[in-house]
Amino acid sequence: MNRSTKGVVIGGVAVALIIAILSPYIASTNPDGLGATAEHLNPALMKDNDFVNPGYWHAPFNNYEIWQIGGKLGGILALVLGLFIVMGVALGVSEIIKRKKRSEEAKIIDAKRSDA
Amino acid sequence: MHIPDGFIPLWQCAIYYVIALTFLFFAFRWSRNNLNEKNIPLMAVLAAGIFAIMSMNIPIPFGSSGHMVGAAMVAIIFMSPWAGVICIAMVLMVQALFFGDGGVTTYGANVINMGVIGSFVGFYMWQALKHPRLGGLLNLGKYWSVGVAAWIAIFLAACMAAVEMWLGGTFPLGLGLLYMGGYHVMIGIFEAIITVIVVFTLHRVRPDLLAWNSKKNKDDFDLSTGPQESEEAPSK
Repeated sequence: MNRSTKGVVIGGVAVALIIAILSPYIASTNPDGLGATAEHLNPALMKDNDFVNPGYWHAPFNNYEIWQIGGKLGGILALVLGLFIVMGVALGVSEIIKRKKRSEEAKIIDAKRSDA
Repeated sequence: MHIPDGFIPLWQCAIYYVIALTFLFFAFRWSRNNLNEKNIPLMAVLAAGIFAIMSMNIPIPFGSSGHMVGAAMVAIIFMSPWAGVICIAMVLMVQALFFGDGGVTTYGANVINMGVIGSFVGFYMWQALKHPRLGGLLNLGKYWSVGVAAWIAIFLAACMAAVEMWLGGTFPLGLGLLYMGGYHVMIGIFEAIITVIVVFTLHRVRPDLLAWNSKKNKDDFDLSTGPQESEEAPSK
């Protein structure tokens, strides 16, 4: 990463961190568009917890909270953790793609050499 | 707009998974050909920013709230809808697995709505709006076309979610479209504003990171001359 790209990354992560820290304090607790629609059109769906969360998967930080810590601090830490997990996944996927590309290029070079 | 587990029958979830994975296959292929040392950090930081801003629901009228999606923003920055697909798919995966935001069984449907519809509608609507024929008639400037495209993208993504709910027997079609569309018309304003701010800031601070400023895309974006037919078409 060159110096100027590093500046963009630092700036972007700083903005994301500010949002993550402020979010538990300023985010609305109203249901989102889909939740509000479900409350109007299919209220039984929202009340029946087994249906909404049938137990296929139990997310460790459900509802953006670290239940062991709780409160706003738990919310902030969950978001900061999530932010770095997302960055890690993005960089990890990119690394896999780059390695695959390199191995394919190496195969093409080998094939050309063997043809020659 | 994250559909939780239980809102869509499992057999329909499987169909959405197949469709989403097909799009992800092509998104990976785009990434292999287009991501490099320079734009990989930008993709990662955009993904992190989208994750953070998705957690911040802003209140909207009629007792609801909403958050930005960001698919159109990524697609416009990279000048490819595939960039938006892969970025949103990564964010949605982390949200579903770690935070219970959006279901694991409905991940495919969420990728289709927010990733695929959000990116493709956002990108091609922006392309259409900046085209001299349509953009010229509407007299939309560079940033207005970005904002309007982002707004339409989130609106249509919400409409697609309503259609999936109808197919799953969860909502009636008409009212589902009315409520989902109505709420997301308002949420879309927030999406449009943030998208314009991010694109504007990047254009001012680091224009080289915006794909429309790259040599092969620059002529195509030039509003004064209109789209150019070139041998080297922008990669999409």
